[in-house]
Amino acid sequence: MPLSTQSQTGDDNYVLVASLDNVRNLSNILKAITFKDHAIFNATPNGLKVTVEDSKCLQANAFIQAEIFQEFTIREDSVGFQVNLTVLLDCLTIFGGSTVPGVATALRMCYNGYGYPLTLFLEECGVVTVCKINTQEPDEPIDFEFCSTNVTNKVILQSESLKEAFSELDMTSEVLQITMSPSQPYFRLSTFGNSGNAHYDYPKDSDMMELFQCTKTQSNRYKMSLLKPSTKALALSCKVSVRTDGRGFLSLQYLVRNDDGQICFVEYYCCPDEEVEEE
Amino acid sequence: MKCVIEGNGVKVFGKAIHALARIGGELWLDPMMKGLAVRSVNSAHSAYTCFLFSPLFFQHYSPDTGPAQDCGTVKCKLVMKSVLPLFRCLATIERNVDRCQISINLPDNQVIFQFHCRHGITKTHNLGFQESEALHAVFPSHLCPNVLKAQARLLGDMVMHFPVSQEEITLSMSPLRVNLKSYYEEESDCMKAMHTEMSLDPSEFDYFQVGVDSDITFCLKELRGLLSFAESHGLPVSVHFGAAGKPVSFSVEDMVLEACVVLATLVNPESRTPSQATEAQVPAALRCGGVAEPSEGPCVADAGTPQAQGFPSVGELIASSQGSPVFSGAALMRELTRTGEDSDRLRPRYTHKGRGITTPASSKVRSLLFGALSCEQGDGCTSMLPSLVCSSDTEDEGEERASGTL
Repeated sequence: MPLSTQSQTGDDNYVLVASLDNVRNLSNILKAITFKDHAIFNATPNGLKVTVEDSKCLQANAFIQAEIFQEFTIREDSVGFQVNLTVLLDCLTIFGGSTVPGVATALRMCYNGYGYPLTLFLEECGVVTVCKINTQEPDEPIDFEFCSTNVTNKVILQSESLKEAFSELDMTSEVLQITMSPSQPYFRLSTFGNSGNAHYDYPKDSDMMELFQCTKTQSNRYKMSLLKPSTKALALSCKVSVRTDGRGFLSLQYLVRNDDGQICFVEYYCCPDEEVEEE
Repeated sequence: MKCVIEGNGVKVFGKAIHALARIGGELWLDPMMKGLAVRSVNSAHSAYTCFLFSPLFFQHYSPDTGPAQDCGTVKCKLVMKSVLPLFRCLATIERNVDRCQISINLPDNQVIFQFHCRHGITKTHNLGFQESEALHAVFPSHLCPNVLKAQARLLGDMVMHFPVSQEEITLSMSPLRVNLKSYYEEESDCMKAMHTEMSLDPSEFDYFQVGVDSDITFCLKELRGLLSFAESHGLPVSVHFGAAGKPVSFSVEDMVLEACVVLATLVNPESRTPSQATEAQVPAALRCGGVAEPSEGPCVADAGTPQAQGFPSVGELIASSQGSPVFSGAALMRELTRTGEDSDRLRPRYTHKGRGITTPASSKVRSLLFGALSCEQGDGCTSMLPSLVCSSDTEDEGEERASGTL
């Protein structure tokens, strides 16, 4: 493949080099978290983590493991920078993102370190595009302090069943209420809109429910505007885990299979809407 | 009221909602002993539609909400925008929904739509409703002189030729043929737009009865919903109408449901021209003494409507009626006169808040429909459909109707 065999002049200066035969394995996942312009990139020997935040209440992370890349070379323990995600996606899809079988756009992403732009080499059918995107000093991502030991309720659902519910959600409702309970209604999504209320109930023995671990009845409301972007991640995923902790913080984890069937993860953390107290 | 719709019925109900949504912004639910009536009317009161689901349509149907009394049922008015999204994607409903339960919760003023879906998932929608008088138009289609019946497919094929943006079309009927053509109000529109006209032989219809040659102009857009419903069910559509200015009704029925759309028709002096052209082709022998009619009192009351609005005098109306080989104009008018005495029986049961609604520009069509949706003036229910008003017993009905239907 042309890009990876290119003479690596100046390659020694790169602190991060990542290559993909099919750029969609990166761009599709990034589209699932593009609700804000800026994203924080953090690369470690394990792979790439991309974080997007909204109003200090919502955080989305996309994880692309090193194994997904055809080449992933990192010279430091941790490399971080911030870029405009919209611009990055425009560059990644510069060849139009066609899905003609056998035709893929290849990517080589290089970063020289602090102060240098992010350089992208994209190639399709012998045509090469070089993009250099300015980077900024990365902000520190919020630590929602969400840890497994504090998780009170957890369910894992097949995404198919949730996709329809999310696409039908009454958008005139300001909040989405998630109720999880060891007893009826088990797992319920509720909206309170102009025309009335709507409730989507998933019983614990549904064949869409892969895991049901609820210890106590909890009902929390989250701003609809914050959660609606997660629909993109839901659309890409095959399974989703929904967890709440004692404070009512919400963690949504999506298992996404890329074009080559490899697994990546997207997760969303959301603070509860302050006006409502937990039961 | 509580009812349960199973399986495929949910999709049928959803399709009905789609057809109703084409007409108006509000939905009336009227649970009756004979079934659940779901109705809608447009803001100009020139189009009305009703779907009546008999108890057989449901897996379970109980119309009463409280202790059984004959007024134990409540009539609800819902906002169409709240109901339509529940049935928006019919393909998904077909795939996922096992059954749908609709119930009325009186204390909370809510109608509850509960969908039981695959995989044990339940979707519950609690919609607020307004208690309302029933919306009900009585259209005695059996009195209409002209009747056409055809498979929905035929009608669908006919209207398919008109652009989706086509507002109104004219249906002309004579003993020799049925014409359908596009209608434009303004002269200027005639120059800019494409005109479509087609002609069908009476033999193409399953049933063809022409009582009076007539050209009726009505809104096509409001009809498309019902035609789409009928086509998806392969049901024949019956069309009942009379002379221009009187409403036209399109109806379908099968064993478990009945549906109809009643549309006002334009009263337009020009519309008589095609008939007169037809007149030339009809053998002179058939031009009968319908012209004698104008002298009949009740009809004159009609013509005396102060707010003419282009409403021609009845004398002119009758002149356009050709006396068909089957019916003579004179006999028809006498028949309608007799029925007038029964008009009390046929009066609409409720009035409806129809006033205060602004009349759109094309006021000619809107002025008509049917006094069944008359104003809240409490004059009692004003007129019936014009076809009966002609022959009603009170002369002042004309004025009431004129003021009421706007």
